[in-house]
Amino acid sequence: MEFGLGSGGGGGGGGDESARRVQVRFTTKLGPPLRVPSASLAVPSNLTRMGLSEIVNLLLKNVNDEHKVQPFDFLIVGELVRLPLEDFLLAKGISAEKVLEIEYIKAIAPRKQPNPSLHDDWVSSVDGSNPSYILTGCYDGIARLWKGGAECTHKLAGHTGAITSAVIINGKDDSKHTFHIATGSKDRSLRLWKVLLSTNFDGIDYSEQPVNVRESKILQGHTASVQSVSSDPSGDMICSGSWDGTIKLWEVKNSDADGDSVSIKKRRLISNTANQVESQLEVEGVAVTTFVGHSQSVSSVIWPEHETIYSASWDHSIRQWDVETGKDTWNMASCKMCGKVLNCLDVGGESSALIAAGGSDPVLRVWDPRKPGSLAPVFQFSSHSSWITACKWHRKSWFHLLSASYDGKVMLWDLRTAWPLAIIDSHKDKVLCADWWKDDSIISGGADSKLLVCSGVSI
Amino acid sequence: MGKSRRSSAEVDKLDKKFLKEATANGYIEGTSDKDDRFQSSDSVDLSENEKSQGSPYDSGEDNQDDRFQSTDPVNFSEDEKSQGSPYDSGEDDQDDRFQTSDSVDLLEDEKSQGSPYDSREDDQDASDYENHGTMEESDSSEDEVPSRNTVGDVPLEWYKEEEHIGYDIAGKKIKKQARKDRIESFLAGVDDAKNWRKIYDEYNDEEVELTKEEVKMIHRMLRGKTPHAGVDPYAPYVDWFEWEDKGHPLSNAPEPKRRFIPSKWEQKKVVRYIRAIRKGFIKFDKPKEEPHVYLLWGNDSSVTENKRHGLSYIPPPKSKLAGHEESYNPSAEFIPTQEEINSYQLMFEEDRPKFIPRRFESLRNVPAYENALKETFDRCLDLYLCPRTRKKRINIDPESLKPKLPSQKDLRPYPSTCYLEYIGHTSPVKTISIEISGQWMASGSSDGTVRVWEIETTRCIKVWDVGEPVNHIVWNPLPELPILSISVGYDVLILDTGLGNAENQARVKELLHVEESKLEEDEGNTTPVVRWVRDDKYDGIRLKHCKVVTKIDWHRKGDYFATVVPSGDSRAILIHQLSKKHTQNPFKKLHGLPIAAVFHPTRSIFFISTKNHVRVYDLLKQKLVKKLETGLREVSSIAIHPAGDNVIVGSKEGKMCWFDMDLSSKPYRTLKTHPKDITNVTFHRLYPLFASSSEDCTAYVFHGTVYSDLNQNPLIVPLEILRGHNSSNDRGVLDCKFHPRQPWLFTAGADSVIKLYCH
Repeated sequence: MEFGLGSGGGGGGGGDESARRVQVRFTTKLGPPLRVPSASLAVPSNLTRMGLSEIVNLLLKNVNDEHKVQPFDFLIVGELVRLPLEDFLLAKGISAEKVLEIEYIKAIAPRKQPNPSLHDDWVSSVDGSNPSYILTGCYDGIARLWKGGAECTHKLAGHTGAITSAVIINGKDDSKHTFHIATGSKDRSLRLWKVLLSTNFDGIDYSEQPVNVRESKILQGHTASVQSVSSDPSGDMICSGSWDGTIKLWEVKNSDADGDSVSIKKRRLISNTANQVESQLEVEGVAVTTFVGHSQSVSSVIWPEHETIYSASWDHSIRQWDVETGKDTWNMASCKMCGKVLNCLDVGGESSALIAAGGSDPVLRVWDPRKPGSLAPVFQFSSHSSWITACKWHRKSWFHLLSASYDGKVMLWDLRTAWPLAIIDSHKDKVLCADWWKDDSIISGGADSKLLVCSGVSI
Repeated sequence: MGKSRRSSAEVDKLDKKFLKEATANGYIEGTSDKDDRFQSSDSVDLSENEKSQGSPYDSGEDNQDDRFQSTDPVNFSEDEKSQGSPYDSGEDDQDDRFQTSDSVDLLEDEKSQGSPYDSREDDQDASDYENHGTMEESDSSEDEVPSRNTVGDVPLEWYKEEEHIGYDIAGKKIKKQARKDRIESFLAGVDDAKNWRKIYDEYNDEEVELTKEEVKMIHRMLRGKTPHAGVDPYAPYVDWFEWEDKGHPLSNAPEPKRRFIPSKWEQKKVVRYIRAIRKGFIKFDKPKEEPHVYLLWGNDSSVTENKRHGLSYIPPPKSKLAGHEESYNPSAEFIPTQEEINSYQLMFEEDRPKFIPRRFESLRNVPAYENALKETFDRCLDLYLCPRTRKKRINIDPESLKPKLPSQKDLRPYPSTCYLEYIGHTSPVKTISIEISGQWMASGSSDGTVRVWEIETTRCIKVWDVGEPVNHIVWNPLPELPILSISVGYDVLILDTGLGNAENQARVKELLHVEESKLEEDEGNTTPVVRWVRDDKYDGIRLKHCKVVTKIDWHRKGDYFATVVPSGDSRAILIHQLSKKHTQNPFKKLHGLPIAAVFHPTRSIFFISTKNHVRVYDLLKQKLVKKLETGLREVSSIAIHPAGDNVIVGSKEGKMCWFDMDLSSKPYRTLKTHPKDITNVTFHRLYPLFASSSEDCTAYVFHGTVYSDLNQNPLIVPLEILRGHNSSNDRGVLDCKFHPRQPWLFTAGADSVIKLYCH
């Protein structure tokens, strides 16, 4: 079956008779309405992604008249097509003689939220782990909960310095009506918060006036500002990295089921300062353990599994800590890696083992710690133009991760291509934080005091 | 007196009287000889004379003469040979033999001499002949027979397996001769009647045939007689000398005096020679006369070496030799077409070819060259009028003149790219300072504000409006004391940034508390150098100076700090102690205008930079240690290497000097980099980096390794020029500081922006 592009020519020079033709067959993992007949076609070899997309849409239209034109992305041998077909085959050394299997997936076209949620100050941290609420930390020292990403329902005020990091500890479970939230701040303390989510009927009240929430516990111990907070998968513990180079582990206990140590502390506090404590509902906690090893600021901590904590530091190293022993089991010595200050870190990807980190240069690097004897990054993405402040793996996909940078852009990356899948360029100033939300949206906050939600990123 | 003895021994048949005469003659001759010699050379010493007298060669001629008289011609040849042989004793023996031998023996000798010629083949060489001869002469000694083989006294079994039996005198292998088998040798023995006389010499691997005489000798020896028949063992003893009346040596004359004193005449002669040599009349190394010819058609280059043209002869440039196109009948390709000839007319006269080839039928048709005279004249003019100079061209690869520097890749990391900008000031940022932990930065601007920034996020966390342009701003070097010292006009402000934790904050509060009463007390005594006043507006301390304060530097322990008041005369350099709120003025007399004062990073040493010099003081001993001569017109800034032995000084003429204090008080290296004033120079605390910022809107980053090995000089490599700032009011980058832990450089620009350059 010969196939030539009729009128569109979007692929560029489809009508050229002398152009070489390549036998292709389109396959997909998408559902039946988006499936094309699996016959092989001859297409001009100078087609680009757009041309291929047009062909697929045309084919779908032949099958189903109600089909709406939509862009697709194409995979050849696990690589996303970003060049003209001819050049792509040449670059990858794939023979153009055989019938080419091209898998198509839905292209990502992020939709911007029309009116971003405005904060009073820079948005330093976002957490999108809960599908209905977004938690943001702000430089005015207040953490906020945004319902549906649009309306602020709760204000968590208490910190005396800017909040650097805020996480929902038990956010994975939507059924609970209580949120446990941990925030780290530049005032050298962490605070734990318990937020009771109201039922729907008094939601109207909240939209007009956000509920102020007081902290349930203050965790003191760091001697410099807390840079990053992360909770363990079960939600019983949190760890924090600080500018003083230490990582501290804290226990999270609900105030109604206080542990022994905290209650003792509480009692002592009461005895010490008699009446005042009664009025303040503050409970102080101390660190369970401290991991010492980094020589400079620990900029990012991640607790993906129960036993291991990953940390990235300004001393150019990434360490893996064993929670039980408190020793760093694995240490990517700095200078061989990149020698750059590291700002962010995330673990994910293939079997949740790849480490992505960004720092004081515009390159997002991905390491595979399972690869023996080599500390060279497996992937390097360098489309940013300034420091990278955040990187997050998609929770479900092996290939997708996003990065935020001081250049005001959030980029969506696919491991299968060196070009960004999408660039979200709506921040006016530095982007300080970014996260996935509901698996198909990207949320980001920046120095323009905005929380941006970009939906339509269905992976 | 060997001579006389010998002559007497040889002449045996003469009677005593004749002998006496002969000895008398010899004696007389000997003495006369001696006298001659004495006369000729006085300096030769006596013993030598005697020796020469005693040696047999001196009187050899006489001997021969004697022999001619005494012996027959047959023996003569023999004698000659024996004379050539070095053994005197052998000769004597021989003579003895002749004494006693009768005519028969003589005959026998003759025969034996002749016999080798008979028995041997002609191809036997002279050495063999000689061997034989000597063998004959000496009756017993084996030593005289030079054997062919030279292996020496080694068991001959060692050579059993070899193909050779040994080596000849030249070191070549001597091959074994083919061995006859038994039957053959037996047959040979039967055939040859003389076979019984043949003996196999194992050592030389040859058969030796004994002569009749030898056999006879053997027989005699077997019988226990002397080998020679003519030996008379019982010859009567003849005493040749009459010793009875010879009571004295032959000459009893005393040694003459002249033999002991240096010769006057000789001395005079030597003196004359010496004078002649000194005056140059006598020359030893006469130069060889070179022939005055040269190659007329030789290469010109050799002519240059010829000295006949004087000192600097430069050969004239050669005119071009005639080629094919100048031929009267050139090939077709040389002849230009008409269009080409026409095109020549369009060219410049200088570019136009001088000669247009033409073709002629024969040489007869060639006309005279019309330009010949003109061209010769031009050539002569050229040679005469154009001054020729010799260009001295040295073949040096310009690359090799460059110093060997390590590649920039190896010197990483160093700041190279600007990623962050700190925007907020409205006027030129005059000074910046980074907190020791690397989290905060403070900046002072001429808009009268001091700002504190968070480095990581470029967020301005604090603004103080101090009212006047800020001259200098420095953090306290202790991480637990986040205190800023700010020089504003006549005052130095010490402010609490509030960035420490609660514990430190309390300490800071305590430190910054000034008791008013104590101040008044001080005022009562004399007019104090500096007044410590509590500053209520910013909750800090204000130190009131008499004039404008330009520079502040903290001691490493964070208690003392020094301020520079350039126009303060005797109060120019002041050292303050924060904990006691006390001010000292140890440098009352200063030579020149002070520019900057810096504490040594490890020791109690203090650097004061004036316009042209840097003075190094020891604070403990309170004396001048060193004076560094910068050779610069006006110093603008100074920085000390963290190890303390190296100093860099930036100047207003754009030069930077690196001093190695151990090396000299002169700059180790002067880097002329900036076209405009250098505003600040700085070292990195950890990395081997230093930087300079200038009014030309650039900052330079250098690599500067200081080796702990004292023999190795510091390595200085320019790394990077950091651009990016814009000029404002003709001012560029006003300050530069390194991040204390990362290889990052902060630059403060007159465009009111602070930039961070990362690696």
